[in-house]
Amino acid sequence: MNGATMDNEPILKVDKLKTSFKTERGKVTAVDGVSFDLLKGEILGIVGESGCGKSATAQSILRLYDEKQAIHEGEIWFEGKELLSLRPPEMDKVRGNDISMIFQDPLSSLNPVFTIGNQIAEAILIHKSISKREAYARVLELLRLTGIPAPEKRINEYPHELSGGMRQRVMIAMALACESKIMIADEPTTALDVTIQAQIMSMIVELNQKLDMGVILITHDLGVVAEVCTRVVVMYLGQVVEEADVENLFTRPLHPYTQGLMKSIPQLDCDRSKPLLVIEGTVPSLHQIPEGCRFATRCPFADDLCRSKMPPLEQYAPGQRARCWHAETISKKGEAIRAWT
Amino acid sequence: MTISSESIDLHAVKSALKKEQNKILWRQIMTNGSLFVGFVIIAFLILVALFGPLLMKHDPNTMDVLKRFAAPSADHWFGTDNLGRDVLARVIYGTRISMGIGVAVAIIASMSGLIVGIYSSYYKWLDHLLMRLSDGIMAFPGLLLALALMAALGGQASNVVIAVSIVATPYIARVVRSEALALKEQTFVEATRALGASDSRIIWQHIAPNTLSSLIVQATFIFAEAIIVEAALSFLGAGIPPPAPSWGNILSDGKTYIYKAWWMTFFPGMTITLAIIGLNLFGDGLRDLLDPHVSKAKK
Amino acid sequence: MKTYLLKRLLSAIPVLFIVSTIVFLILQMTPGDPALVILGQEATLEEVEDLRQQLKLDRPIYEQYFNWLFNALRGDLGESYFMNDSVLEAILSHLGPTISLGILAEIIAIALAIPLGILAARRKGTLTDQSVMTFSLLGMSIPNFLLSLFLILVFSVFWRLLPVAGYKPLGAGLWEHLKYLLLPAFALGTAHAALIARMTRSAMLEVLNANYIKTARAKGVKEKWVIYKHALRNAFLPILTVIGQSFLGLMGGTAIVETIFAIPGIGQLIVNGVMRRDYAIVQGAVLYVTFAFVFINLAVDMLYGIVNPQVRLDNKK
Repeated sequence: MNGATMDNEPILKVDKLKTSFKTERGKVTAVDGVSFDLLKGEILGIVGESGCGKSATAQSILRLYDEKQAIHEGEIWFEGKELLSLRPPEMDKVRGNDISMIFQDPLSSLNPVFTIGNQIAEAILIHKSISKREAYARVLELLRLTGIPAPEKRINEYPHELSGGMRQRVMIAMALACESKIMIADEPTTALDVTIQAQIMSMIVELNQKLDMGVILITHDLGVVAEVCTRVVVMYLGQVVEEADVENLFTRPLHPYTQGLMKSIPQLDCDRSKPLLVIEGTVPSLHQIPEGCRFATRCPFADDLCRSKMPPLEQYAPGQRARCWHAETISKKGEAIRAWT
Repeated sequence: MTISSESIDLHAVKSALKKEQNKILWRQIMTNGSLFVGFVIIAFLILVALFGPLLMKHDPNTMDVLKRFAAPSADHWFGTDNLGRDVLARVIYGTRISMGIGVAVAIIASMSGLIVGIYSSYYKWLDHLLMRLSDGIMAFPGLLLALALMAALGGQASNVVIAVSIVATPYIARVVRSEALALKEQTFVEATRALGASDSRIIWQHIAPNTLSSLIVQATFIFAEAIIVEAALSFLGAGIPPPAPSWGNILSDGKTYIYKAWWMTFFPGMTITLAIIGLNLFGDGLRDLLDPHVSKAKK
Repeated sequence: MKTYLLKRLLSAIPVLFIVSTIVFLILQMTPGDPALVILGQEATLEEVEDLRQQLKLDRPIYEQYFNWLFNALRGDLGESYFMNDSVLEAILSHLGPTISLGILAEIIAIALAIPLGILAARRKGTLTDQSVMTFSLLGMSIPNFLLSLFLILVFSVFWRLLPVAGYKPLGAGLWEHLKYLLLPAFALGTAHAALIARMTRSAMLEVLNANYIKTARAKGVKEKWVIYKHALRNAFLPILTVIGQSFLGLMGGTAIVETIFAIPGIGQLIVNGVMRRDYAIVQGAVLYVTFAFVFINLAVDMLYGIVNPQVRLDNKK
């Protein structure tokens, strides 16, 4: 269903990425040794609760943080370049051009004092030396591509004159302006109505297929993940806890956290007399990260090993990795399902 | 803390709470840099105003014709002026005059501003009248208005206080009025009225006290403005008549002889600057302390 | 938009009325008889009486007031008692220097304040930021006439770079004209600059946290443009408000600064008029100045509408 193609080479390689921030209460590490690859033409989902570091990971890829406050370690490889070591002018050339990004709230993400035509044209003119007329012609093309009706009129309108769904389309148009190889979508539909959500997501899928553009989709909505993604990375408290193809993730989740997530999605055909599953406990604060496995405080299978030593991310099945000492045993014995019920 | 059959000692709880509140307040005051520095400066100046004259060697009015235009030296720290008078002594006496006028204006403008502001907020018709009047007064540069008033009233210290107070009152009235308007909408006012309290009781016992924090902050800034306006008026010759050593008068003499005696301008100038900085810092600090929600960009 | 403008202009009328009444009353309270002052101590009682009748000073107050008001509405502000001009001519001829001074002061203030404010915002929390804030506190604290004196001390007395006082009109050459206005403009503009710098800093800080700045960076916009194009345009609104509101205060300061630097502008005209009891001048000039203030307020509001498309469009609807 998704556009994963024959050549399975990664176009983006994130290797042990670590992002820490200097705060008044000390150093906080929001992204702690995250590694994953984005293969050509695939839609990779990154899921997790708020605060798990998924947004921080995305922003670190494009180095959007003020590097006086944020420290990056690790490597990010794109087209033979290591992004974290590029000088600012070189990184500017990558942003919006090779790799683009769209954000959660399109109203606050668009500059209120410039027309949308101006803002989309800017995305083009920064990177390509073409005339203004040509740029605006391309803007019209992009508006049509993203399904915005009456583009000639819209081009001179301001963000607050458009509806939420159209604003997000404008953001996508800006992201496509330079035919990026990768688009990072940070919770693109969270702030939109349900019907619009579906439209935007189907547009993203279409663009992925038509333009062979890699997509990193960051979301907390597992329903969207199931429909749209090729592969999924699950994050918890700054780390990757599971990585799998979407089918395997939903049918045979290895990590207890993922299992808990799957079980807590209400199903149409489930027994309505039973209460919905809740994962007990709360996410520990980033300032007080527990020893050992970070999920141990809420995991029904946690034992002393889990609480004292951090499990590494291991491959337990083809194309599927998990960060759990007991991943194999749990999945084999099918105890997972029972424990969570 | 479970509620048991033993009665809870209410007094103990109350005093513990009070102690805790005081501790927090004390910490807020101590960490408030502006408040502290401003306070130190103002306290210093007040001490100078009160006790300076006792400690001085020279008299501000004694003229020593032989020692005219003497540069600053060990005997005359701030030098002497065109009539041989000791500038330091004059500046110290000037502190007394200017701080005195500043305080007087701050107090009078506060009282009149409070009355105008509160009653405006309470009675609609009065509001229209008084606010139009205030707009009129504020529409014009304060110094010019004070100047015109001084011309009408005559050059005396008391008139300076009156003139500047008139100019300053609308500013305080506005602040009080907006606070009072906000307070009026709160339920405790309705509740008090439901109990049968009269208008003036509500106004004076309930609304007015709550406007005091904003009032005091504004009054501090008015104090600073009053010093400036008095100095400007005296500088122009329309304020306190010479030979009284008001800072403005010293500056006025200084301007005439600016090529000959820079110290006649420099020292009184620095003193005024010090006073204003002190008051501004104190006012800023006070505002942060009393109402941390007010945006820092407003003055 | 038009009804809005009209409403604003209309609401200015009562203010003008009140201001002129206040000034009139104050002047009437002022001791000193203009006729006596004009003719000097040697004049006989008869001569004084004649002049008083001529100047209509013997009529009851309300009649004098309405006479003046009526004439003023027709554009005739009367004659100055001391100068050989009609009040209107006197005002117009003194307008030039004040406008030059005001504009120069405003330019200096903005040219200093906005870059400093932006610098402080970008380097928030560092020594640079604290220095800018400290200087701005100093700038706001020193009264303009004091600053004038200090500037004279430094630039005219110690370093003989600029003239102490005086004025040359534009006709005498641009540099000559500016030479005499530089110190006073600086003295006037500094407090204004301090306030603008603070506002610029806080507005920029707020704007730089906005999501659309993140978007601009994600598009690959160079940092310089992020600040000056994307951020500043949005921060400009509150900055403009502060500029507009305190511009009036700046113009108010011209009175004493013009007096110190002997610049023949409106401020000096009013000060001298008050000191000399030249009623006609004072009244005419006050009316004029108040009207100018109202007008400037309105212009600032309109500028606001242009800079912020949301305001503009709401007015259309």
